Amino acid sequence: MTNGITVALAGNPNSGKTTVFNNLTGSHQHVGNWPGVTVEKKEGICGYKGYHIRVVDLPGVYGLTAYSPDEVIARDFIVDEKPDAVVDIVDGSNLERNLYLTVQLLEMGARVIVALNMMDEVNARNLRVDIEGLSRLLGAPVVPMVASRNEGTEELFDEIVRMAQREVPVRGLVLNYGREVEEEIAKLERLFSQDGQLCRKYSPRWLAVKLLEGDEDIVSKFNEVGVG
Amino acid sequence: MSQIISLAMVSPGKTVQVVGVRFGWGLQKKLADMGLTPGVTVRVLNNQIAGPVIIDLRGSRLALGRGMTQRVLVKEL
Repeated sequence: MTNGITVALAGNPNSGKTTVFNNLTGSHQHVGNWPGVTVEKKEGICGYKGYHIRVVDLPGVYGLTAYSPDEVIARDFIVDEKPDAVVDIVDGSNLERNLYLTVQLLEMGARVIVALNMMDEVNARNLRVDIEGLSRLLGAPVVPMVASRNEGTEELFDEIVRMAQREVPVRGLVLNYGREVEEEIAKLERLFSQDGQLCRKYSPRWLAVKLLEGDEDIVSKFNEVGVG
Repeated sequence: MSQIISLAMVSPGKTVQVVGVRFGWGLQKKLADMGLTPGVTVRVLNNQIAGPVIIDLRGSRLALGRGMTQRVLVKEL
């Protein structure tokens, strides 16, 4: 499978995800449903420098805590299928809200590339983004784009290939939540090290954070496995 | 000491501070995901008798259903 790459597209609704999807795949798209639900699933294929790339458009979500089928689908796809790259399309003119999802993806340990879209709007508002600084803080590549003008697509392809070829595993982002919360996280992580099953799929820290949030999906998974 | 009222009652043009969300962990989380958290400042852009309330929140516009806005508690600034 050295020439095959699977890329998932994630991002808030209205961030330009569909436009990026179209720029990447052209007319080679296929629309269906995610199994068991009425949420639309879009997949497409394209070729780039000898690579065969499969692009999966995940539902637009604001976060990855499981409250709606959309969020569970987005999350499960990343955990179960482990795409070679997850492109998080971010509306550059609305960074604060968009980065909320980015951080959740990074905490999961997903192989994130941030596509900083709508840079024309950023410029129009006389704003500037410190792209290098952002990339350094997030620990992920950031590609500025204006998807509506098909700008940045080639650079994005390059980053996708680079991420897919990356040998060193991506480390989950660790945000310090303050002493009290971190103490609880540490306690939970210690408990998890005793349970083999869930920890193989998810990082212990991420599981701890989700449990503290009261994430229903994760809570039920723990109940299934029978951990107290 | 300013009154605490529901977001549904705020006139367009007014800026308020979010105090909390009543009834329901689910709604609280959903709104928090979109940036509506206790302490944040919000400006009401559009609020008519019926239909969604449009607010300016952290640099983006959000349309909230009337039922939701009745459960968001705010303080006038």
